[in-house]
Amino acid sequence: MAALSLAASASEALVLGLTTGPVCMASCGPVVLPWMLVQPKGMWSHSRQLFLFLAARLAGYMVFAAAAWLVGAAIPREWSGRSWAYGGIDLLLALALLVYAAGWPRSRRASSEPSLSLVEIGAAPRPRPSGALALGFLTGINLCPPFLVAGVRAAQLAHLSGALFFFLCFFAGTAIWFLPFLSLGFLKRTPAVVTVARMVAVLLACWYGFSGVSLLIERTLHG
Amino acid sequence: MASRASALERPAFRSIGRSLLLTLPIALWSLLMFTPTFRNGSRALSIGAVAVILFMTGLFFLMMRTGETYRWRRIFFVALGFLFPIGFIASLIAERGTMSIPISRMVSGDTPYCFMVTPALILPAAFARTIVFPGSILPTASNPHSIAVMIGLWFAFTLVLGKAWCSYACFFGGIEEGFAAFSKRRRLHRFVTRYGSILRLIPWAILLCVVLLSAALFEPVYCMWLCPFKTVTEFPAVRNVETALQFGVFVTLFVGLVVVLPLLTKKRTQCGFFCPFGAFQSLFNKINLFDIRFDREKCVDCTLCQTSCPTVALSKESIHEGKTLLNCMKCGACVDACKKDAAVWHLKGTPVAVKPERARLLFLYGAWALATMFGGSILANSVATMVHWLPLK
Amino acid sequence: MKEDIVSRRMLSILAYTGAALTLAVAASVPFVLMGAFSNAVAHAGLHIDAAFSGGTVARTINRGAFRIVVYQPVKPRLLERIEPFVQIVFEPVDAMPARVSEEIDLDGDGQPDVRVGFSVPADPNAPLHGDVTALNGKYISFAGVGGESFSRMVVRAGKQIVVRVPLNRDLARR
Repeated sequence: MAALSLAASASEALVLGLTTGPVCMASCGPVVLPWMLVQPKGMWSHSRQLFLFLAARLAGYMVFAAAAWLVGAAIPREWSGRSWAYGGIDLLLALALLVYAAGWPRSRRASSEPSLSLVEIGAAPRPRPSGALALGFLTGINLCPPFLVAGVRAAQLAHLSGALFFFLCFFAGTAIWFLPFLSLGFLKRTPAVVTVARMVAVLLACWYGFSGVSLLIERTLHG
Repeated sequence: MASRASALERPAFRSIGRSLLLTLPIALWSLLMFTPTFRNGSRALSIGAVAVILFMTGLFFLMMRTGETYRWRRIFFVALGFLFPIGFIASLIAERGTMSIPISRMVSGDTPYCFMVTPALILPAAFARTIVFPGSILPTASNPHSIAVMIGLWFAFTLVLGKAWCSYACFFGGIEEGFAAFSKRRRLHRFVTRYGSILRLIPWAILLCVVLLSAALFEPVYCMWLCPFKTVTEFPAVRNVETALQFGVFVTLFVGLVVVLPLLTKKRTQCGFFCPFGAFQSLFNKINLFDIRFDREKCVDCTLCQTSCPTVALSKESIHEGKTLLNCMKCGACVDACKKDAAVWHLKGTPVAVKPERARLLFLYGAWALATMFGGSILANSVATMVHWLPLK
Repeated sequence: MKEDIVSRRMLSILAYTGAALTLAVAASVPFVLMGAFSNAVAHAGLHIDAAFSGGTVARTINRGAFRIVVYQPVKPRLLERIEPFVQIVFEPVDAMPARVSEEIDLDGDGQPDVRVGFSVPADPNAPLHGDVTALNGKYISFAGVGGESFSRMVVRAGKQIVVRVPLNRDLARR
């Protein structure tokens, strides 16, 4: 009976993850894509970075699952504080993207180029795990609608372990949608590709920053 | 860039007779394109058509006579860039009294389609069969520039021109090319030389961002936030803080990238350092048969070609390899600037610098024919608009 | 050596053939190609995003000289930045009285859901003053001039009056 209940919960969560996966890809994709393009070419490097990203995202999911269950009720869809959370997370994402765009290390410097880090074109940098972890965690705790739907369901379960298991299966369903990013491992890494990826990260940071600030201002003005 | 001095130094490239003979197909084509106008159009439009036929044929004749491309093409292109907004804005004012698009026009599908949004439409169309643009797919009485018509036109042109769209068809690029030509002195030259290799990557980054965000948000992000040319065409009516902010961005980008920076640098800064559609068009250079190459035996590395290129489509490395970068828009500036005839027009698959004039002719016939068809009709309409303003009996 | 010359010659022939074809393509653009590509796009099964078009028609209500067209609810897709809404179109404008006030059933359950009121000015360019009153919690009332956003508006579009009533987000998800 318990096994049946577990299987039902798992399949429900998995299906929920699979169906809402496109939303995750649409919201997280702009963050993941430039990050992956900066990594050196090769399936091993890409797999490692994607694994770290997803692991950190899973950690974010688990934190939320535990919080939702412990609070005793899911964060309601119309929770007025959601906008604050959205805004804050968007700003943190913007900051993370800016940090890694500006500070990604390079293994060689073109001597004729100026030393400003953002404008320097060089070879693909050595991958930094902290980037994948930070971006993964921030996207993991992003309170997007499918996430909250899963939260509602998880909070209704009898045990904390059940909530965590539910989110693990939900995560697996959404993570499948990220596997196509591994194909970026085959893309040739010229200095131009790396530079464009960093520029994309900066531009997206501007977008997330604007989005976050707008939400916070709107929340401040309208309560 | 081809200077007045270089044109005067060189003897006539071709005799008048041969030049006229080579111009004849373009003259006939122009007449063919505007015959319906003479039959069905108004008197003002017929005047516009005559002016355009003479204009386009005359410029092509000069291309043949002098052997130069850039300076004559630029005259057409600048005319297109400045006259298009005149005709377009006049029609907006006549129709609705304002350049701003009220939301009612967007929901009724009356927004004319602009090709610059094309890259942003691809992913939503592919995955959800949805066009994220407030237009109409089929032409209507109030919106003949429908999505199907304009995409069909753009694709047909791109098959022939590749990135040369940006030199022969885009009705915005001529504005900054005009401002770039206006200035006598090249300021910020060191800045452009030093950072050009990075600046020309910005359009690719903007393209990727626009495509990703448009797919995520299901809205035409470039049109709503980044298009400088909203300033001289039409823009969403300011109705709240967001639309006011958008308008501010449009004007700032227009003044900065289309007016001030071209004046200072003599480069097409919006085209070369910003336009994501230009980056998208660059991809089609891969399949286009025409390009510009460098004869390494003749080249003396004077970098005149690099200086003359309006979009920094040349680097030292690429010149050493004998070719341009992917974002070359085949304007011919480098070919005309080169004093050693090392920069040449080229047909892929043929030897470099062997019969380059043949490659140039083959390219120009196609490009000029399409320029006459599309740009010419825009010019004719704009001339007709101005004729309407005159107190003609 | 001879093979090199032959292959280069073949390549040149191919190149010039391609160039000739390109010219032929250019000549065919205004007569054949442009129309062909336009037709292909028109028949590709694409549609304008519902945020702009208002979605698909649900039902039509006849009111004698004019009719009211009710559309299916439009819900934001993925991360689309619009509120969910229902579009109502009143047409044709010429047949409407100077002041319109209608209670409309939007979800087809036989009960009126909103009351829509607006004055029809003679000048087609004049802004519309409209008010929408929600008769149940599923919809959101508003009053104002013209179009505030894609999710709430009372505007004149050609021969139609387009009204968009925002849906309560929470209930819209059900």
